[in-house]
Amino acid sequence: MLKIYKNFWLVNWAEQWQYRANLLMYLFYWLVSPIIYLAVWTSIANSKGDVKGYTANDFITYYLLLLVVDQITSNIVIHILADKIMDGAISSEIIKPVHPVLTSTLVYNVAFKALNFIGFLPIWVALNFLFKPNYAAITWQNILLAVPFLIAGFAISFLISAVITSVAFWTTRVYSIHEFYFALVVLFSGQFVPLTLMPEMIQSIARYLPFQLMIYFPIELLLGRLAPGEILHGVGLAVFWFTFAVVAFKIVWKRGLKQYSAVGA
Amino acid sequence: MRRHLNLIRVFLKINLQMAMAYRTDTFVNILVNMMWLGWELLSLSIIFGNTQALAGWEFGDLIVLLGVFRIVNMLMFIMIWPATEKFNTSVRDGSFDYVLLQPVNSLFVVSFSRLTIWRLWDLVLALVLILSGLSISGGNILWQNFMAFLALAFSGIIIIYSLWVVLIALTFWFTKFDNNVTILHALMDAGRYPVMVYPFWLQLIVTFIIPIAVATTVPVQALHGSLSVLQVLMYLGVGAASFVVAVLFWRVGVRKYSGASS
Repeated sequence: MLKIYKNFWLVNWAEQWQYRANLLMYLFYWLVSPIIYLAVWTSIANSKGDVKGYTANDFITYYLLLLVVDQITSNIVIHILADKIMDGAISSEIIKPVHPVLTSTLVYNVAFKALNFIGFLPIWVALNFLFKPNYAAITWQNILLAVPFLIAGFAISFLISAVITSVAFWTTRVYSIHEFYFALVVLFSGQFVPLTLMPEMIQSIARYLPFQLMIYFPIELLLGRLAPGEILHGVGLAVFWFTFAVVAFKIVWKRGLKQYSAVGA
Repeated sequence: MRRHLNLIRVFLKINLQMAMAYRTDTFVNILVNMMWLGWELLSLSIIFGNTQALAGWEFGDLIVLLGVFRIVNMLMFIMIWPATEKFNTSVRDGSFDYVLLQPVNSLFVVSFSRLTIWRLWDLVLALVLILSGLSISGGNILWQNFMAFLALAFSGIIIIYSLWVVLIALTFWFTKFDNNVTILHALMDAGRYPVMVYPFWLQLIVTFIIPIAVATTVPVQALHGSLSVLQVLMYLGVGAASFVVAVLFWRVGVRKYSGASS
């Protein structure tokens, strides 16, 4: 099995490397809105001293870590898979004896991340020079503790996106559906602002949804702002949503394959 | 002029027919658009739940700014993005020949032949936003400030359009440069907030290099009356000059174009 993954890696890495200029552009595009939010909230914090306990430095560290965390937990499944399902190109992958999403798509996505990181790192260092954050709150224990949560965050976001993309077996409007999903992420993940600054109602819903595991939870964990009880809540949340996503993906994929008519074949 | 207006009418008709062929998609797109408007308003209310003013601007001002931003953004979605896609392909595969063969200005055809028409709906939303923003702020708007606002918004859009013309014209020299508008696309979102909020280096970028702020923040400043007459005239001058430069640049570029297959 490891050998299979290794080969997928070699192919996908070579394929990604061709498009490195496009990747840089994509990276640039993705960077802008967190930096804008950073600017907006630090400006407010500076004028008032703090916003519900968040100082300017808290906002700077939050958004700079957000860039790293989002790099790790986000996924591009829909862009890899949706067109393949709609135009029938997935056929050649289905007949292979390994699961196409858990090998080809997954490795492609990880290779994409790896290459992105190479471009991202110098930019991130430069941003740190520009904004001069104080990371005193981060300890080694926090970083070690955050690692499994980051992996879980990626696994969950990857599987949920795979479920949504599988809707392409039934309808071609999968990109619009994905846009609605993306709105949920914006609302409940902590992408716009730390969740504690969102309206009460959104916070209480966000508490039970998987989206905070992708952004807010790992960041707060890194910054040591979570009480032990909250970390336990996060463990429960991660276990539940991971199980849910695995089961949902298995069912949808199985049904989808039955539905699949292999356009063009 | 009359001929151009007629052509625009024909282009609109063709693109409307295309949109109607995909009615459900158009409907879903409008729903998605409304959803994002809801989010934009919610995010502003979250910001102003935590502060009275953002860089001295109040809630009503930000709503007006959102309206102006939506008009600029609408222009991007109706015209700039679809036209870019079509143009880049046509330079690469040589079908730009057919644009040059037509007895109309090539820049005109490139700009108006492909339009995502349903987005015009945004104009209504944007006007509602601007008017409600004004009524939230209260106070009287001087008519000369309002005229300056309209003129500057128009000239700001012309500046961004001119930048776009220069960016895509570069494709005549560098055929593979099909990321030509990414930087514009990426920085669009910076127009949602008053430019004074941003760190100095970002202010420089969105004012002088990719001047999105000139089409969003600046007109709203004029509405407040916080620009002098000289400043208003200067911005209008920059708008007119950039249009002239862009058209000239386009002409030189077209001469450089050599076709792909011949």
